[in-house]
Amino acid sequence: MMDRELNGTGSRRAAGRMNRPGIAEVAKYVVMAVIIVYIVLLMIYASGSTRSFNEIEKAVESVLDTDNLKKAEGQGLKRYYGLNSADYEGVMLYTSESSMSAEEVLLIKVKNEGQMKRVKEAVEKRLANRKNDFEGYAPKEVQLLEQSQLTVRGKFLFLAIAPRAAEYKDTFAKSL
Amino acid sequence: MLFSSITFLFIFLPVTLVLYFVVPHKFRNIIMLIASLIFYAWGEPVYIILMLLSIFLNYVCGLDICQKEDDPQKAHRSLIFAIVANLLLLGFFKYYGFLLDSLNAVLPVDIPYRELPLPIGISFYTFQALSYIMDVYRKEVRPQKNILYFAMYICMFPQLIAGPIVRYIDIEEQLKNRTVTMRKFGQGAEYFMIGLAKKVILANSVGQVFDQIAGLQLGSFSVLTAWVGCISYAFQIYFDFSGYSDMAVGLGKMFGFEFRRNFDYPYTSSSITEFWRRWHISLSTWFREYVYIPLGGNRCTQSRHIMNLLVVWMLTGLWHGAAWNFLFWGLYYGILLVLEKYVWGQALERLPSVVRHIYSMVLVLIGWVFFFSPSLGYAMKYLGAMFGAGASAFADKQALYYILTHWLLYLLAVIGSSAVGYSLIRRIVGSFDNNRAKRAAAGVVYIGMFLISIAYLVTESFNPFLYFRF
Repeated sequence: MMDRELNGTGSRRAAGRMNRPGIAEVAKYVVMAVIIVYIVLLMIYASGSTRSFNEIEKAVESVLDTDNLKKAEGQGLKRYYGLNSADYEGVMLYTSESSMSAEEVLLIKVKNEGQMKRVKEAVEKRLANRKNDFEGYAPKEVQLLEQSQLTVRGKFLFLAIAPRAAEYKDTFAKSL
Repeated sequence: MLFSSITFLFIFLPVTLVLYFVVPHKFRNIIMLIASLIFYAWGEPVYIILMLLSIFLNYVCGLDICQKEDDPQKAHRSLIFAIVANLLLLGFFKYYGFLLDSLNAVLPVDIPYRELPLPIGISFYTFQALSYIMDVYRKEVRPQKNILYFAMYICMFPQLIAGPIVRYIDIEEQLKNRTVTMRKFGQGAEYFMIGLAKKVILANSVGQVFDQIAGLQLGSFSVLTAWVGCISYAFQIYFDFSGYSDMAVGLGKMFGFEFRRNFDYPYTSSSITEFWRRWHISLSTWFREYVYIPLGGNRCTQSRHIMNLLVVWMLTGLWHGAAWNFLFWGLYYGILLVLEKYVWGQALERLPSVVRHIYSMVLVLIGWVFFFSPSLGYAMKYLGAMFGAGASAFADKQALYYILTHWLLYLLAVIGSSAVGYSLIRRIVGSFDNNRAKRAAAGVVYIGMFLISIAYLVTESFNPFLYFRF
């Protein structure tokens, strides 16, 4: 009788163990949950947008302090970055009116992701060249360049070299 | 990071090789794993987390399936979870934009969405993980309990971003025990240098011709120019992808692995069926093992078999890209394979081999038009130009210019895409009497090829990699 009871308890325990999820089963749901959180974070902080270039351009221009900036025409992109504006879906470039200032704001929407690598390299090269230009005699401009905000979101690239660069970048990110 | 980049060739690879061979045997996998993570993070710092999560997910899913193997229903449910999770991940990053774009185009709606760039290599590593999961479920392999080995299998840098898609069953033992002999290392280096030359010298050069022709306004070029453009693309994609695969196989050998070859001179095929036995072999094998055979393969009714072929080829098309032209490209091959199987296959075999070869190449070239076109509409217009509709003339100065200025390149491409190229190298090396002279000749040939490749890399800025987007 006692044996039967013991056996009964044992088999119930064994059945309980069988029904209890194993570590691997729990872990797979946990990992899946982490993946979902990761994707949500990617969507918030790293995603691009299908919004038109004009919509994003307007949003960024609405907060730009253009006292010291002038809008460059298509040739500006070629001159400063070595890129052809016709190759991209949209280009907005503001450069400083004074040659003594490093201020610059650039927004590009590429036609396909394959173009982004080249655009990013050109922007990084421009930043390095500008640092070289101002190094030694214009420490404020060098600081602006070091605190510049460069971000790639999907097909958009945004660069801000300005005292309010972080604010411009936030506006850009929110407009997506 | 690309294999055909100066950073990889002169910094990453030498440093990794030195560390790999300097450390004790038991640390070699750790070096390989760290190197692979750095290799991936170089180009995808954000998506490395996704790859690591995918590794963890499939590692625990494999263990979970194994733990439930005594209860087939639970094991089956666990398998379905793993497959769905992997396909959802791949689907989200690769296809959700395509799905929404298609809905926006078909329905009177304009759903805006946030787009994410495609994680490099996601199609390759997801398919590797799926093959592991399904093999564990079928009890063809035991689940890997050592996460280091499993992570190595998924993200080993030689085949991480462009394949070949390696089945776990093929390298399970090599993950634990592998040896590198001087001979194997030398063979690996040979493969690598041949692959590099195919990619840098041939693919990039013909790719420039194709880019020039693809940049012309449709309707402004002749029939001959359209064919030259299409042939250039056919050579570009072959040398680009097979070159990268050769480099992957070579690097694998240099680190002691044996990967199966991914290409077997596909442009020498005499039928479309043969072409797909020779092109991207690891992908065809994957679809055969994990989709075609489970669907019933050819051991079913004729109508069911046709359906199986069309489903597999539509999926093959979609694997290559989230666009209608890829779907159409896959379906095009599905239909051709059905026709060869049930309509003209036997008649085709009776034709002279030259005719069969021309038949295959013309159909393959037509297929590439769907592949390189940005849209179906463009593909149809380009095809029209190839057959005279909408072309400016049959031949013009432009076409002759491309042919006359690049004839040597095309000759090299023809030689390189057949077994003639490799046997020529072997013949040159083998023509010497003693082993010392043979080794010296091999050194001159391969180092010469390597130096020319480097010269191209340094002087040319055009170095795309077509299979990145898959």
